[in-house]
Amino acid sequence: MNHIIELQRVWKRYDTGGEVVEALRDVDFHADPGEFVAVMGPSGSGKSTMLNVLGLLDTPTEGTVYLDGQDVTDLSDREMTVHRKRFIGFIFQSFHLIPTLSALENVEMPTLFGDDPTARDRATRLLERVGLGERLDHRPDQLSGGQKQRVAIARALINEPRILLADEPTGNLDRKTGRSVLDLFDEIRREDDVAVIAVTHDPQLGDYADRTVELIDGRIQ
Amino acid sequence: MSVLDDLFRRVPALLMARRNLSRNRIRSGLAVLGIIIGVLAIASLGMFGTTLRTGASQQLGDIGNEISVSPNFQEGIEELTERDVDEIRRAVTDGAVVPVRSESKLVSRGDRQTVTTVYGMEDPGALYEAEEGRIPDRLRQGALVGSGTAGLLDIEPGNTISVDGRTYRVSAVLAEQGGISLVSPNNAVIVPVEDVNGTGYSQVVVSADSGQAANESAVAIREALNEREERVSVFELQSITAGINEFFGILNAFLIGIGSISLVVAGVSILNVMLMSTIERRQEIGVLRAVGVQRGDVIRMILAEAGLLGVAGGVIGAILAVGAGVALNAFVLNDPLATFQVANLLYIVLAVGFGVGTSVLSGLYPAWKAANERPVEALRK
Repeated sequence: MNHIIELQRVWKRYDTGGEVVEALRDVDFHADPGEFVAVMGPSGSGKSTMLNVLGLLDTPTEGTVYLDGQDVTDLSDREMTVHRKRFIGFIFQSFHLIPTLSALENVEMPTLFGDDPTARDRATRLLERVGLGERLDHRPDQLSGGQKQRVAIARALINEPRILLADEPTGNLDRKTGRSVLDLFDEIRREDDVAVIAVTHDPQLGDYADRTVELIDGRIQ
Repeated sequence: MSVLDDLFRRVPALLMARRNLSRNRIRSGLAVLGIIIGVLAIASLGMFGTTLRTGASQQLGDIGNEISVSPNFQEGIEELTERDVDEIRRAVTDGAVVPVRSESKLVSRGDRQTVTTVYGMEDPGALYEAEEGRIPDRLRQGALVGSGTAGLLDIEPGNTISVDGRTYRVSAVLAEQGGISLVSPNNAVIVPVEDVNGTGYSQVVVSADSGQAANESAVAIREALNEREERVSVFELQSITAGINEFFGILNAFLIGIGSISLVVAGVSILNVMLMSTIERRQEIGVLRAVGVQRGDVIRMILAEAGLLGVAGGVIGAILAVGAGVALNAFVLNDPLATFQVANLLYIVLAVGFGVGTSVLSGLYPAWKAANERPVEALRK
């Protein structure tokens, strides 16, 4: 098996005050290195829950999660954090940059707590790569939406992850800016052999994806 | 790269903490102000106590170094003999032994006269200092006059006075003794011991070099003279000074206790500030956790914020406290440099330590709360 990440028969149930909500129902899913997978579906279909399970932010109620062939379903919080840092880069709809840190420091942030002498050079190169070489010392409030998302992408790449997880990456961007961000995803997965999994309901994402998975009511169609 | 940048690279929690605190300067400033007031209260109340104690011991002089040996009237002993004095001299290894006879007599100069205490002493130089003139090593002739009597009868060294009809030349006027003394010279006249009636002595004053030596002498004298019968009673002024010191110790603890209350209040305000700021930053902390920052690092970051508030408040509070101490000592003791002594340094260290400790302690709960929130919950919009 050469899937970088795989979900087998995953269920996720939430107990919301007596009523059990099934967010994921018997989901089988996988992604390979260099593959761009779009997960589409209406809101409330369980897309975000699936992304959280894939990103080791949440554990499934039933089923198994494999990361690089290893069963990571029942790891401790500390181990999950270590795996997130090593394997996974996150990109959020509202960017979630730290407002008090400069662009460069935001990109460095995942490496900050830990001895990593080359982090600053890598962060500088990544910002140059996403076209923000001139904006290293700008604070997030001095950047446009597209620039913020580029900083967030550079941050996601700082630890050379194998998987990029994007939650509505173009949701807060206009069509043209969104397209340039998607071009960047395309470049990253080709050049770095990274699996990109994007949750969205933006139809233009379908043009870029190798494969589109549709999720309705917690089931893959 | 500056020293600060270097520190921030080594301790990233400090960098994050510093940036987070500058986010809402007024709020951080008010939290620091609370700590400043608490630290200032503890340190300056502590120093206030030290100043009181110093002032009080200046008033008391070095009475702790003197002991008085007097005959035990209850056993029917009315005066101390030459033999007793010899035994006392043998018992005291470190200090001057001055046997004293005393009587009330009529002292006159020209047409002015007064009834006053007359002490007979061989070696008054061991106990007193001269204001004018000089005190002979052995008082064989002439008289020494206390400052009060000298003022009353308008006496200067070289004058002639008459004590119960006997004429003396005044060799010295004694310096006024402040505070408590076993044999106060202020309103007395001191003449050679042979000139006062009697064969024995009414008391023997021992002036030692230190309070401890005085205490040892007292023990030795009791052993030597009271072995068979209770011949003498020994009075140590040290017991008074020990009591006074104890009182000031209690007073100081009380003052610091009051100061600590203000620091506890400051701690609550830091708790409030940190709790609010971690709730506001829920999503950010969620992002930190998502990108691979461990719980421990989140805790460290928030504790560093609380600690920075405490250190800033502690340092400023300490500086203000030293200023307050200098002003207080300049006003009360006329000696601003009296602020810089070990006891006060301890109070300042204690206050700053308390301040930083309170702050870090107040950061614990917000830190724990932030670190244990599940990133999924924190990231939910």
